[in-house]
Amino acid sequence: MSSSSSFPGSRFPFAAGGAGAGASGGGAGGGGGGGSGSSVRPWGSSGGTSVSSSGKRIQKELLDLNASDCSAGPKGDNLYHWLSTIIGPQGSPYEGGIFFLDIVFPLDYPFKPPMVTFKTRIYHCNVDSIGAVSLEILKDGWSPALTISKVLLAIKGIITNPDPYNPLVESIARLYLTDRAKHDEIAAEWTLRFAR
Amino acid sequence: MAAEVLRYVQAALADEAGCADAHAAALATLCDALAFTHPDVLLAAVDVAYFAARLPAFLAAGQNDLPVFAARAIAEAVDILPQWAAVFLQHGAVEALRDRLLAADNIELAEECLRALDEISQECPDECLRLGVAAAALHLFDFLSASKQKMALKIVTQLVQECDDADVPKAMEAAPALCNLLQSSDNSILGSALSCLGMLAADAHGKAEHMDRLCESKVVDTAMGLLDKDGWKILDDDTLPGILALLKHIASVSEKAVNSLFDLGVCDLLKQMITCYSCSPSGSDKLEMLVELLYQLMQPLGTSGQMNDTTEQNAHVDQLASIVTLITQVAKCGALSSVCYRCVVVIGNIVELSTPTFLVGLQKTANLSSFLTCMLARKNRHIVFQTLEVSKTLLKKHHQFFFESFTKEGVKHAIGTIQAQEKNRNSSERLKRKNNTQEWCMCFDLDLDSSSTDGCKIENNAILNLAEEIKKSFVVVKANKKSPHRFGCVIKFVRDFFARLNRHALTVLTQDPDLCKELSDISRKFLSDELPSTSTFAFAKSGSAKYLVDYLSNRAYLKSNLNNCEDLTEQLKEVQHRLQKFTHLALKVSNGSSVKPLGILVDKLLDALHMSYESFPVILSDHGQRTRESTMIPLRHSRTQESESLDIKFVKARREKVLRSYGGVLPVSLSSKPGEMEAILWPVICSKGNAQGSSRLMFSYKGTKLQPSATIFESLVRLMNAGQSDIVIDSSFWDEEYRISYNRNKSENIPSTSSCNTRLFAVQEKLEQSIVKDPFFCSLFLGKLPGDVDESDPSYDLLFTLKVLEGLNRFSYQLSMDQQICKFAEGYLQNLDDLKVTISPIPQHQFMSNLLTNKLELQMQERLFEDGLVPSWCVYLAETCPFLLSFSARWKYFCLTVHRSFMGDETSIPDGSSTPDEESAAPDEEEEESDAQNEASKKTRKHKVTRDNILESAASMMTKHGSSTKTIEVVFVGEVGTGRGPTFEFYSTVSHELQRLGIGMWRGDNNARKAGEAGFVRSSFGLFPQPWSSVGTSTRGIELSDVVKKFKLLGHVVARALLDGRILDIPLSKAFYKIMLGQELDIYDIPSFDPELGKTVLEFQALVKRKKFLEKSSEKTPNRNADLSYKNVRLEDLCLDFTLPGNPDYELVPGGSEKIVTLENLEEYVNLIVDATLKSGIVKQVEAFKSAVNEVFALKTLRMFDEEEMERILCGEQDSWASSKLEDHIEFEHGYDASSPPIKSFLEILREFEREDQRAFLQFTTGAPQLPLGGLASLDPKLTVVRKQCDGNIDNELPSVNTCRHFIKLPPYSSKEIMLMKLKYALAEGLGSFHLS
Repeated sequence: MSSSSSFPGSRFPFAAGGAGAGASGGGAGGGGGGGSGSSVRPWGSSGGTSVSSSGKRIQKELLDLNASDCSAGPKGDNLYHWLSTIIGPQGSPYEGGIFFLDIVFPLDYPFKPPMVTFKTRIYHCNVDSIGAVSLEILKDGWSPALTISKVLLAIKGIITNPDPYNPLVESIARLYLTDRAKHDEIAAEWTLRFAR
Repeated sequence: MAAEVLRYVQAALADEAGCADAHAAALATLCDALAFTHPDVLLAAVDVAYFAARLPAFLAAGQNDLPVFAARAIAEAVDILPQWAAVFLQHGAVEALRDRLLAADNIELAEECLRALDEISQECPDECLRLGVAAAALHLFDFLSASKQKMALKIVTQLVQECDDADVPKAMEAAPALCNLLQSSDNSILGSALSCLGMLAADAHGKAEHMDRLCESKVVDTAMGLLDKDGWKILDDDTLPGILALLKHIASVSEKAVNSLFDLGVCDLLKQMITCYSCSPSGSDKLEMLVELLYQLMQPLGTSGQMNDTTEQNAHVDQLASIVTLITQVAKCGALSSVCYRCVVVIGNIVELSTPTFLVGLQKTANLSSFLTCMLARKNRHIVFQTLEVSKTLLKKHHQFFFESFTKEGVKHAIGTIQAQEKNRNSSERLKRKNNTQEWCMCFDLDLDSSSTDGCKIENNAILNLAEEIKKSFVVVKANKKSPHRFGCVIKFVRDFFARLNRHALTVLTQDPDLCKELSDISRKFLSDELPSTSTFAFAKSGSAKYLVDYLSNRAYLKSNLNNCEDLTEQLKEVQHRLQKFTHLALKVSNGSSVKPLGILVDKLLDALHMSYESFPVILSDHGQRTRESTMIPLRHSRTQESESLDIKFVKARREKVLRSYGGVLPVSLSSKPGEMEAILWPVICSKGNAQGSSRLMFSYKGTKLQPSATIFESLVRLMNAGQSDIVIDSSFWDEEYRISYNRNKSENIPSTSSCNTRLFAVQEKLEQSIVKDPFFCSLFLGKLPGDVDESDPSYDLLFTLKVLEGLNRFSYQLSMDQQICKFAEGYLQNLDDLKVTISPIPQHQFMSNLLTNKLELQMQERLFEDGLVPSWCVYLAETCPFLLSFSARWKYFCLTVHRSFMGDETSIPDGSSTPDEESAAPDEEEEESDAQNEASKKTRKHKVTRDNILESAASMMTKHGSSTKTIEVVFVGEVGTGRGPTFEFYSTVSHELQRLGIGMWRGDNNARKAGEAGFVRSSFGLFPQPWSSVGTSTRGIELSDVVKKFKLLGHVVARALLDGRILDIPLSKAFYKIMLGQELDIYDIPSFDPELGKTVLEFQALVKRKKFLEKSSEKTPNRNADLSYKNVRLEDLCLDFTLPGNPDYELVPGGSEKIVTLENLEEYVNLIVDATLKSGIVKQVEAFKSAVNEVFALKTLRMFDEEEMERILCGEQDSWASSKLEDHIEFEHGYDASSPPIKSFLEILREFEREDQRAFLQFTTGAPQLPLGGLASLDPKLTVVRKQCDGNIDNELPSVNTCRHFIKLPPYSSKEIMLMKLKYALAEGLGSFHLS
């Protein structure tokens, strides 16, 4: 699931906040230049004059996000590839940790959910060792009415309150249910080790 | 010279005192002389009597080699001059040989003795038998070589065959040894032993004491041991009938044997076997044997007295009774009269043996009465007669009870009908009894000791008399007591139900919860409670089917014309509405039962359909010759023999004035319909070139008009055999010349529905939903099944109803989702997340009719089926109601008939010689098979393909030769492999290449983000074409024209794979298969290949509907905007523009990327997305695909399959590996058998293989990663494992394969681990080339 490696750094500058016509992308070369044909094309590469439907949507979400307290934004100049940070909630074993999240928007966003992965190791029953998150709204529960800020909110929610009944890592969930103190201890230790 | 040698020998032997060595040398010389001398010389030179006297003496007394030479000399002598056998016999040679055999001192000697005995017993079997040779021959059996073992059995066979009654005890002496041989693993020994035992049993027939002797030797136990524990499944086709015949013979005589059979659980075994063979098309003969065996099992029960030892007997009857249900099912669905007849006889016997109370129970579990009704509906006189007998017995046993159940289930009615028919027949057709001789009598088939087989037991009046007798007994009861007549109740109930449904149809279901509950209550009462207990007879007679479809079609069915229905759109909506409502009722599982009402309804309908047996007459050209190998389906029409045709003289009808007369006799092929003849006749007989009607001529034979939908041949046959259900054509039929008269078709019969049809099509065009374009909906809407069908036929209503219900079941998701969307629109559902379908359809196979499938199978075994002896009902069912036939039957039908829809073939040229231009097409690219195998080369053609550039190479090859009638085989340039393996590899490689990323064919191509994954489009829901905007022709360097070309190649490959029996490895989506099958797609199909998009689009659709609804009644709801948000988000905030999701270059409208989706234009947006995704965006690709298939054969012939079946056909079985027993379908040869240690580890490895390993293994051994239809079992040739001969270190060797013959040469590795390692290495390295072999 480590998708970051497959994204070569794009050559096109990212015009932040440039809603609509502001795309100076110069994308005439097109995403096809990616060689393997694998990378998500930078927004606006199609004609160079307009932003695609999903691009518009992502830009709007970026604007809305700046108003909220979440910190997330494009990584480099690729509108479809974001980086987000989540601060470990107070009162939880993750307190004091800073968790980096990788967000990848599919081309048919918002019809398809974004892909969210933890870049920081976290001891959590709903996050596995390669950072995949199990969250209903990122799978079948997805709807175009949801936004990335709602997704981040939901992720904060499960950090505070893990869902041990639908776990991704069985052993952590078992520990969470049987020996909460031990679980919290390990989680805090991991936070100290990986998330500072 | 020979004479001199013989004289010398004689002299040497005469020396009584001579030493043994001298005698031996003389005898050796004698043997040589006998073997090389001409018989005439011998006859003159040898004094037989002398030798005959001397040789046995040597044999008996001699030492060392002497007896061996003596025995050999006897064998040689009798071999060369058989008439000497008697002489040797006289002089006691046989006794001496026998004694030597029994003495068992020397194997070589024993073998020579056997040989001699073999020669003698050929000539004098009876004497040998009397001397006890039979038992002696088997004495040393286990020590003999294989060839001598066979010889021993041959001797026994010769002796036992047709021996005299007096000699039977002697023959029986061999029985114990023979029984021992039944445990042999060698099939040929097993087979001979069985046949010997069978002959013994036949010899001993009628003499219980002999039979008991046979039984004492545990023959029953051993035979049962062979069958038991699924043993019968692995027996070959000769052995199994042998065992069954043996058991049958024994059971027919020996009560003891029957008892032990019952004790060994023969009933359970028979049940398993009958279940198995009643489903398989080729099992009918075995089925017959099984039922016969059952019959024989009951024979002693009947004869052993009625009342004594009742406890044991009852136990046996109990066991038998458990089979009754099965037997009734077999008989109901049996297409072969002989099977049905046997079943009826067996049931008659059980009835005879049972007590009245027992029979009452049996009626409840097996529904005997319904079975009787079914059998009485058959036209076969023997079945009818036997059934009447059974009815009579039942009435005798428990008059009151069975009278009632007969009334309820329609037996009474059926008997009445038969009585009337028989009376008619007797009065009118007394003279025309000729036809009856064609039905061969089955009465004697079950009686083994019947001496005369000619003439029918059933006299002319027998049926009538019996029917009348039963009728009379009814009257007696009626006078005594009026039984409650439930029949009327049922009809009333049915009418009531539909009347109420109709009343409710007008009210909107969702508005009134009480009404809704009432409706579901009455429907549950009718469908779930009432229907299962209703008799099929009452169900059919009450016309439930008619009422149901009349309700669903909003009265279109019974009125059958729509002329007065002005507003088609209204009618369409109403029909759809009713379908929705009924779907909901029929598929909802009522609490407390697991069965869906629709399932019950369909079962009843099928049962009722089975009663109209004669609507589907099987036509066979002659009895007996029904041997088509079930596995060998000829995909091509072999033109080796002249196809049959009829000579028909066309004459002008007497009243016809306008047309000219046609003089000659025309040969008419079996598949010609009247329309085709018209095309030939018209230019000749037409006086003026006018009259441009569709059907200009009317044909008639002896005053009866020929149906245009049936072939001329079928019409003739049916007219000549009127009154029979199944027809066997007389051989004289082919020689006669027939006179068919023609006249002009005066009645301008433009169907009244056609104007309605055109209007319907106009309305359909405008509608988006695919359901209204489905054939089932059209039929329902028009109230008529397509095509020319006899609407008065009793099966018509049932077929119509089944078709409608099948469609309803298939579209249940659409119907139910539509209903949910309406509910949301009208505000009964608040939340878009509740937009879910809660009902699920019943499995498609519930619509399958066993009887019709069996009938079609029987018809397809007919030799002339390929030539066109296809009764019109077969065509009709395959085209209109394919769901009634099993998949395998349809597949066989397709294979047998597809050659008629070839596009590029030369069938118009009757002799089929290939056209010259094809031969010289491209000589440098292809090479004909060398002259040696000219037989094969006629059918196949090899083409060279380069592996590096496979797509282009394949495309050019397919474009040139795709439509050829020959099987295409492929050779890769620069590789040595030829034959099936590379060809399979070719198809799977091409299908892989067509899934590459970046070729723009499939959805998900431009959204792929995982570069490392070998560059293939991955889609868990199957591949579906990616939409291409009609504006731009290239995106990201991909040209649309290239994509279209690839779809064309895909079409060719699919068509060729189907035709040549190849397998593709390409996971196409169900929706794409639907396109292939000519079905329309609509918004409800999107979720099947893109769940997320589909879900959202449906939610948008619901929102659109709600908006429309609110606009209609805007005053009621003041707060509009709150209701019309998309999950509490304004549509504008979703920031969607008018481009295709995931494909920003595809503008749905010009300038679409600037146009934001709002509530106002949401409807337009949804429609455009659906259109782009399913229609306009993929139309070019789909057209290219379809036209490519159509170049090979007509795509529409595939419509008898559904999308799952298409997938099975094209891509093979998905998981046959896990379910099948590997060792049953893999053969082991050349040094291996199933028990060799390397094989054991090999099988273990195979079982442990993951899916990917399995694919690799199959690719390695067969060339294709998937198994053909039917799994390992149907791999042809079978997968065979042979021992690889290696010198040096075995564990350094690699396994190798022969993909054409499916051989894997496996070295006998020292351990499983090494084998696994080497196999994996070979799998990894062997792929992608054919250098390893």
